[in-house]
Amino acid sequence: MAKKVLFLAFAMMILLAMPTFAQAPGGAAPASDIGGGLKTLGFALGMGIASGLCALGQGKATAGATEAMARNPGNTAAIRTALIIGLALIESLALYMFVVVLTKSGA
Amino acid sequence: MPEQEPWLTALFNEHLGGVAKSVLDAVGYKLEDPTHPWATWMVMELLVVAFIVVLFAVLRPRLSVDKPGGLQHVFESFYSFFQVSTEEAGIHHGERFVPYFGAVFIFILFMNLLGIIPTFESPTMSASVTLGLAICTFLFYNAAGVKANGPAYLKQFLGPVLFLAPLMIIIEIISHLARPLSLTIRLYANMMAGDQVTGAFEKVVPLLVPVVFMGLHVFVAFLQAYIFMLLSIVYVSGAVSHEH
Repeated sequence: MAKKVLFLAFAMMILLAMPTFAQAPGGAAPASDIGGGLKTLGFALGMGIASGLCALGQGKATAGATEAMARNPGNTAAIRTALIIGLALIESLALYMFVVVLTKSGA
Repeated sequence: MPEQEPWLTALFNEHLGGVAKSVLDAVGYKLEDPTHPWATWMVMELLVVAFIVVLFAVLRPRLSVDKPGGLQHVFESFYSFFQVSTEEAGIHHGERFVPYFGAVFIFILFMNLLGIIPTFESPTMSASVTLGLAICTFLFYNAAGVKANGPAYLKQFLGPVLFLAPLMIIIEIISHLARPLSLTIRLYANMMAGDQVTGAFEKVVPLLVPVVFMGLHVFVAFLQAYIFMLLSIVYVSGAVSHEH
């Protein structure tokens, strides 16, 4: 019963997204604009590397935290606090790249 | 890219545009758009300040030792949260700094949460606001260090061994300047990213998916306010407890 509801919900969401295909293709960069193309490529690669490394770091942090919680369940609150702080600080490193993309794109 | 400005900013620009322009002219600041002297972040920030002032004006008369009301309980829990956070960092006589940390947390929290309400925008989405907050923290922890240690505060820039001093001074100054920079960008990027991601998903699936991202934005709002306060505490503890 729950699976049916879930399936119907996803089908609804996909159906509602169909109108995006009706949009005309807009804003394609002119073919001779190699500078703009390279800039976009740089942003994409940089953002991908930043997010990927950030994910690796956060995965390691979460792994260490869950292992510590499993070893010493009485300490869970302190470990959870340290985990959240660590995750937020690692996240901000990936966001620095996002800031570069935001400030430099559109020119 | 002129996007539609929130109704509050338009209201300010209509009625108080002359005031803003005369202030800016007195300072000599050149406006790029003279018909809109009020920036959105300025208007929103003033709104948050007004809200906090009203909130505390309502709270103060209701404070009572014998019969605490609901609002007092909320703020007592806030205060104990600030106190515990400060104690965990182990600052010598930490209570004198708790007001600043509490003010920073509450201010940033309300500014972040303002963006969730439709037709309002978080002032922390603008780098100017977060830079101002970071500079406040920077000045505060340096002032606290100088007040606690006197001129000997500058000795921590020299590093552990004396003959390494020229190198250490450069490294320490750069790392100290990187602190407000990282505070600024962390808060600004988190709020901006939340808004952009929600906006991007709104264009694709406007129905239910953006709600998930707004929920995430609320969580990030609390978390980033807490991180800002925590880093301020850490910097103050580093400045004050040096060879004390």
